[in-house]
Amino acid sequence: MTSASPSPKSPEVSEKSKKYDRQLRLWGDHGQNKLERSQICLINANATGTEILKSLVLPGCGSFVIVDGHRVTQEDIGSNFFLDADSLNKSRAECALRLLSELNADVAGEAIADHPDSLLNTDPKFFNRFTVVIGCHLGERVLTSLSKVLWEHGIPFLHVQTTGMIGWIRIQLNEHTIIESHPDNPKSDLRLDVPFPELVSHMDSIQLVNREDSVKTPWLVLLFKALKAYISQGAQNEKCGDTDSPPERYPFTSKQKAAFKSYLKEFSRSLGLDDSDDSFEEAVKAVNTAVMRTTVPDEVKSILDDPKTSKPESKFWILCAALKEFINDKNGQLPVRGALPDMTADSEKYIKLQNVYRDKASKDANEIFDKACQIMKQSGKQVSSITVEEVRLFCKESHNLRLLRGYPIHEELSSSPNSVLTELAQNMEECDQELMFYIILRAHLRFHNEYGTYPGFDDSETDISRFKTTMLKILNEWNTSVVAREDCIHEICRYGGAEIPSVAAFIGGAAAHEVIKLITNQYVPLDNTFIYNAITSTTRSLKLAADL
Amino acid sequence: MASEINGLLPKDIQNLVLTSKILVVGAGGVGCELLKNLVLTGFKDIHIIDLDTIEVSNLNRQFLFRREHVGRPKSHVAKDSALKFNPNVNITAYHDSITETKYDMNFYKQFGFVMNALDNRIARSHVNRMCLASDIPLIESGSSGTLGHVTVHKKGVTECFDCTQRPHQKTFPGCTIRNTPSEPIHCIVWSKHLFNQLFGLADADEDVSPDSADPEAISDAGKAALENESEQPIARVSTRQWAQNCEYDPQKLFHKFFNDDINYLLSMDNLWKKRRPPTPLDWNNLPDAVASSSSSVSGQTPVLLKDQRVWPIAECAEVFKKTIQALKNRLENEKDGGVLIWDKDDDVAMDFVTACSNIRSFIFGIIQKSRFDTKSMAGNIIPAIASTNAIVGGFIVMTAFKVLKEDWYKCNSVYIQNRVNVRKELYHFDQVMAPNPKCYVCGEKPEIVLKIDLDRMTVRMLNEKVLKKELCIIAPDVEIEDGCGTILISSEEGEMDDIGDKLLKEFKITNGTRLRCDDFLQNYNLVINIVIMSEEESKDRDKSVECFELVGDRSQLGPKDEEPSTNGKESEKAPDAEDAKVVTDDDDDLEIIAMPMPDEDDDIKVLGTKRPLDTKDEGTPAKKRRRAEEPVSTTSGSTKYMDVEVETIYLE
Repeated sequence: MTSASPSPKSPEVSEKSKKYDRQLRLWGDHGQNKLERSQICLINANATGTEILKSLVLPGCGSFVIVDGHRVTQEDIGSNFFLDADSLNKSRAECALRLLSELNADVAGEAIADHPDSLLNTDPKFFNRFTVVIGCHLGERVLTSLSKVLWEHGIPFLHVQTTGMIGWIRIQLNEHTIIESHPDNPKSDLRLDVPFPELVSHMDSIQLVNREDSVKTPWLVLLFKALKAYISQGAQNEKCGDTDSPPERYPFTSKQKAAFKSYLKEFSRSLGLDDSDDSFEEAVKAVNTAVMRTTVPDEVKSILDDPKTSKPESKFWILCAALKEFINDKNGQLPVRGALPDMTADSEKYIKLQNVYRDKASKDANEIFDKACQIMKQSGKQVSSITVEEVRLFCKESHNLRLLRGYPIHEELSSSPNSVLTELAQNMEECDQELMFYIILRAHLRFHNEYGTYPGFDDSETDISRFKTTMLKILNEWNTSVVAREDCIHEICRYGGAEIPSVAAFIGGAAAHEVIKLITNQYVPLDNTFIYNAITSTTRSLKLAADL
Repeated sequence: MASEINGLLPKDIQNLVLTSKILVVGAGGVGCELLKNLVLTGFKDIHIIDLDTIEVSNLNRQFLFRREHVGRPKSHVAKDSALKFNPNVNITAYHDSITETKYDMNFYKQFGFVMNALDNRIARSHVNRMCLASDIPLIESGSSGTLGHVTVHKKGVTECFDCTQRPHQKTFPGCTIRNTPSEPIHCIVWSKHLFNQLFGLADADEDVSPDSADPEAISDAGKAALENESEQPIARVSTRQWAQNCEYDPQKLFHKFFNDDINYLLSMDNLWKKRRPPTPLDWNNLPDAVASSSSSVSGQTPVLLKDQRVWPIAECAEVFKKTIQALKNRLENEKDGGVLIWDKDDDVAMDFVTACSNIRSFIFGIIQKSRFDTKSMAGNIIPAIASTNAIVGGFIVMTAFKVLKEDWYKCNSVYIQNRVNVRKELYHFDQVMAPNPKCYVCGEKPEIVLKIDLDRMTVRMLNEKVLKKELCIIAPDVEIEDGCGTILISSEEGEMDDIGDKLLKEFKITNGTRLRCDDFLQNYNLVINIVIMSEEESKDRDKSVECFELVGDRSQLGPKDEEPSTNGKESEKAPDAEDAKVVTDDDDDLEIIAMPMPDEDDDIKVLGTKRPLDTKDEGTPAKKRRRAEEPVSTTSGSTKYMDVEVETIYLE
């Protein structure tokens, strides 16, 4: 399996992997590679924006561009750690770039002292090169036009805003695919109910007759043997019955498992084992988790049924198309993952067993690899080459695949948020403050569009009445009976659009979290709206969608 | 500064911010974020303490530090970096341990409130007790990978840090480590002990040679080894001395630890009746295979990280040789009999432990681990990223505003998760919990029950393992409540030397004995009720059961149905859930986070959702707790007595 003699020197640990050690343990080297290849665009380096970039520059994103046409004000200096006293009246993009670049020598940064709308006018393709675009405190118009461009090009887009005690994150994803979703409780894949031929023949080659054979045997062998005997015994008992459709005899339910457990104990004792033997103890313990029905999870099924598998255009979809073919060939089963849980046993026996699973996983992966190559040839698409390693990872995670399809911001802004309004209307007495703030934030965007400032920035008395007018207009457009709460309106007008550093830190960290999920294609990101209310210390996530 | 912008913060808070003197304990991941936010918010008098110096692996998140700061004290550099931004703040930095006696109640009393940004349970627990003693509010926090939390502790109003029984760090009985390892972690712990025996501060509790006094080995058979030894009263030298005598010859060392000692173990044949006996290794004839490797990285696939490969035994032996030589040279360069300190980020020390633990694993037929995985286990490494710390640091300051206003009942706790839960929350907020009346720290008359194995428990074990490590008492004094006030343990240095190795039973300690324990600095008194382990329990001692067990408060000793509600789930818990979460000693980056989950029955009405099925296995449910109730005089009518199931999750 391995080459005869690997180099005897201790593996060298580079400075870089030392620096990133604590995060490599979360997203691995391949996640890190994706991060290091990413190009991030931040529009507006306000407190929230620089907080987001900080948490992306530190872990080593590839490069970033700050687009910001503003000049640094006194308020900026007060709320933004990455603008110092010397930066007053200078370009905010350039000043923030200087201090953010100090965070990590491995990350390249660039500043463009211009507004995003004028960039869109002069160079409509400007934003197409980025892995992710993050906009902070964008006006309604820019938000709409950026949303359209980025949706069209499938570039993930975040709009993030903190206004006083209120934080708002909106993620726009046209389509986002995840191979490593990192489920909380990963399940094992041992195929005890549908053993593959190589596993059957390996198990058949092992003789368990007495204690000598059994005591140092991996529990999986013991379990397999006991299960086989248990099932054939069941078959004996049912012989008189109908043989065409054998009843389910595998112990899947907890009741059946309990019965099987006592059978397993008898079986082990008959081999001369007793309760304190490792293999005995471990086998009994493993019944709950190891004896499982092998199935294709529903979420994976629906991904494979997606029309995109018949006309695959990206690596993910080509792999899915190959996986679909594989499943059709293999009686509906996913490729074997090939990982075995730890078990106390004789090394040699364990290695043999492990190799049975591993070889099968490798064989399955190779089949899928071949199918993928075939599909690529047929489609005539020049997709950047797929490596065997990528296919192996894909196979190992094939039961955890995830697909998200989002809802564009420009559509959100041009329609009425019916689901939110319905929920608010149902319970006006004890209204959900986060939902209330969502509609107020929508009015806030509109206000900025109409007056060019944030409510409360100049004179809060005038602004409160102006804001109420805007609010009424919007609620009228939406044709809703929902009434905006006075106290919430006063609260938002008190801020004048200003940022509180700690709220910016909280929201900045949260947004950076999501950006890393998007870049690495690992973990399931927020879909698609998040509201943080620092007054009550509560949050709400919403999935806004077009009404059907 | 936010506090200077009129209207942004309410006037009352603004004034409190400007006038408060505050303490930040810890200048690591959360500490850096916190300091930045405090300075931006406008706090004018900030004290920060940390005993660590900056390491390369801090730089991916501790943004106040740069490459050129590596090796310098965290607190000093954090102060300098923050002052560069705002020179008009008074920051006082201490490069010191918060558990030092000079940080007494008077020290704490000068602050409006204290914020913990720590990474270990002992220090957290200590600050909790100091804050209780001096009645200063504490904002407690932690982060671990993509998860994090913030909670407020205020004496008499909210729960304290010790109110919830936290999962204790798992320790292993000596005989498992020395004689009968069965998991990789056993071999890793042994290898760290070996490092200390050879190059570090040797600890008698960390012996690496076979333990001939293993109770399991001593029975009818297998006495040969023991008798042999007693018949040969050769002058036994310490492992260190012996290694020095043979000039750290790698081959001789290898032969002793991986051949002679293994053969000696084999001679205790009682041990191997039900176990796979170990296979001694011969330096000149090493196998080439990787045994029982469960690593997902197979030999054929190109590895993602160089250290994610499992080394074959021959390679381990080669690394063993090289690292022994390197460590020997280093030891010789130490002045005045100085010793080496094991550190997971020291490549040579880490290579040594990886090699030794894998050789030992091979010998005992245990899964071998890559250097990367070994490092995780040996160093208790918790993943850490900037974004989580930013969220935690931001929330601490938002909570601080409520603490300043003494709005205790609005001081929600936050639990940061990595995905949206069924309540549609990305982060879970929870109301303030009332103090646990039976808490062994903030309860009225703190008592605890300690179950011990009389034949094994020594005074030193009581002091080191139970009082200091488990109960987080920094400098315990213990007297026996026997009418004459016999002193068992004294915090005065040197007074323990004579009696440390004596068994507790020599002090007539038995079932029902009460020990009065106190810590002068923490102003903390605790009565320990001794219960003797039953024959059966102590017989089981080889099964990774320690020779003691903390049972909690007295009521928990009662009939079975009085035990904390576990919904009968405990027995069904996935076996690997616990095994995977082994923690051996405390080191930096250790985080323990308690995550409350809504109880099915109580919250259906409120939320219309049931607890998701997939959270059921996430941890060991702890006891029922009660939310803190706001005094009736206030207008809020929404707080009721509500029993809420609290689940404790431990995280790696």
